Amino acid sequence: MLQSLAGNSCVRLIQSNKSAWYFLFLVLGYVLYLIFGAVVFSSVELPYEDDLRQQLREIKRLFLQEHQCLSEERLERFLSKALEASNYGVSILNNASASWNWDFTSSLFFASTVLSTTGYGHTAPLSDGGKAFCIIYSVIGIPFTLLFLTAVVQRIMVYSTWRPIMYVHTRWGLSKPLVALVHATLLAVVAVSCFFLIPAAIFSALEENWNFLESFYFCFISLSTIGLGDYVPGEAFNQRFRELYKLGITVYLLLGLIAMLVVLETFCELQQLKQLRKMFYLKKEKPQDRLAIMEHDHLAFSSMPDATIHSPHEDKTEPFVDFPVLTSPGGDDPMIK
Amino acid sequence: MLQCLSGSSCMRVIDGYKSTWYFLVLVLAYVLYLIFGALVFSAVELPYEEQLRQELRTVKQQFLEDNECLSNDRLEEFLIKALEASNYGVSVLNNASSNWNWDFTSALFFASTVLSTTGYGHTVPLSDGGKAFCIIYSVVGIPFTLLFLTAVVQRIMEFSTRRPIEFLHRRWGTSKPLLAAMHATLLAIITVSCFFLIPAIIFSVLEEEWNFLESFYFCFISLSTIGLGDYVPGEGYHQRFRELYKLGITFYLILGLIAMLVVLETFCELQQLKKLRKMFYLRKQKTEDQLNIVDHDHLSFASVSDQAASFREDKTELFPDDIVSGSPTATSNGSLER
Repeated sequence: MLQSLAGNSCVRLIQSNKSAWYFLFLVLGYVLYLIFGAVVFSSVELPYEDDLRQQLREIKRLFLQEHQCLSEERLERFLSKALEASNYGVSILNNASASWNWDFTSSLFFASTVLSTTGYGHTAPLSDGGKAFCIIYSVIGIPFTLLFLTAVVQRIMVYSTWRPIMYVHTRWGLSKPLVALVHATLLAVVAVSCFFLIPAAIFSALEENWNFLESFYFCFISLSTIGLGDYVPGEAFNQRFRELYKLGITVYLLLGLIAMLVVLETFCELQQLKQLRKMFYLKKEKPQDRLAIMEHDHLAFSSMPDATIHSPHEDKTEPFVDFPVLTSPGGDDPMIK
Repeated sequence: MLQCLSGSSCMRVIDGYKSTWYFLVLVLAYVLYLIFGALVFSAVELPYEEQLRQELRTVKQQFLEDNECLSNDRLEEFLIKALEASNYGVSVLNNASSNWNWDFTSALFFASTVLSTTGYGHTVPLSDGGKAFCIIYSVVGIPFTLLFLTAVVQRIMEFSTRRPIEFLHRRWGTSKPLLAAMHATLLAIITVSCFFLIPAIIFSVLEEEWNFLESFYFCFISLSTIGLGDYVPGEGYHQRFRELYKLGITFYLILGLIAMLVVLETFCELQQLKKLRKMFYLRKQKTEDQLNIVDHDHLSFASVSDQAASFREDKTELFPDDIVSGSPTATSNGSLER
């Protein structure tokens, strides 16, 4: 008995430490990944930045040289004003006079990018009232958006993932994890084609200054909700049907975001990725009785449904497991009896 | 028997449609909310935009009048170049010469904002190589970030939410849902103080051109990962200890994001919000036997763990904290007998 108890505690201790070690590796991996990205960005972009600065300095020097009556101080003050306005999306150029940043469709575009947390920043609220409203609007709107997207994705998943897998599994008799993996890959290919490649081709045709990589880059930066704002469509000076174009982009971004979430959800469901995630999560104590299940339910982490769903099912469905499950030697669950 | 069957099917139809109606109401409300936001932004900001345009026009006109040798076309041409460079984060002003966008700490700051999908856009990749790397880096990095944040939040939730509630529940004997609601409110207040108000004060002191609302606005736009980029700290012209400052901001943003997720997770756990969410989600069919449980587990939606939780609630109905109205058409679960 004592030997068994000691063995159990030892195994539990090792497993607990194992999870902690994996977690530390994850944190270290994340920090290293950040540093790696910083090094690459710095080494790739610094020469271009230096080159652009040289060009600007030369252009400015030539500009001042050609116009003797112009003093550098005056130009500096003028440019400072122009650049500050540009930061808010208001351009000093003559061509830009025709398009407004805060007409209805542009505001709708801005509101949708704020709620989806994309936030290009090509236009930003100028007034204190606009800033305050943006905060309040987002506090309410972002959880609202999460609820909306979750409800939509759930419904789409029924038709895009659950039913196809059940159908193929029933008809061809293949194992479910394999079917899910093939389906996820196929779904990813379709999503990339429909929401990245095709829109990128469309944007490169419509926007005269964009090539394909830049259009693809815009699609990616948008649908991942990074929203750097270096490329924002519909901002060209002589854009035809600007309002309709803006509205179309808003719809595309919303649909694209939903598609991204569907693909992400589909991949999260794969067994292989579930097992990978469990390595880094805390190991949950198995519930010993129903009361514990009730308490556990109230405090369950909704972001880790696998851990909560899987444990009781695995115990009960031992005869039906598709793959070997390592059971804890000390796991005596009265619910099995 | 027929009466019972027809009643059952009728109730099932109503239940099915109820969820669909709630969903349609949700979609409509979202569209209306977008339109409402667009109207308010347009109404508030359009006058300021017009005023700024007038101001710019006046400044430009005055500038041209003061310098006769300058032609409008040449100035326009020069301004186009200057504004285009400014869009990439490179300024034509003399003061900005000492600040680089792609030194290590700035690049680290950029990388962290990209991975967290904040994306200020105050600096952006200029080269095709930088753009391509940004795409690949993010495809790998964003799921990595999600995994990292989820693991961190899980561990923090253990100490910030689960244990305090357990402790208070045992000590005071108050019901768990009530304790959870009070705890969530208190946690939200502490988080807003530590990650919004205090940092806003610090930023308004360090950044010479920001007032408190602007600093608070920056904190909110950042921690919600909107990242408009109209306010980015560390971009001042004579910023002392710029590298250290940038590094500190990067650290603050990661910690703040984790705090936001902890609070969001805590609120998601509240019973009241769970019930609200269930209204809009699809109603799951109850499983009949163990084989279906296995099927269900493999294909269950991660985002609707509450549905699975409610499924377990059916098994534990002998110990309800609140009265759960059982559906009269609920099929008996054989698993309860095992």
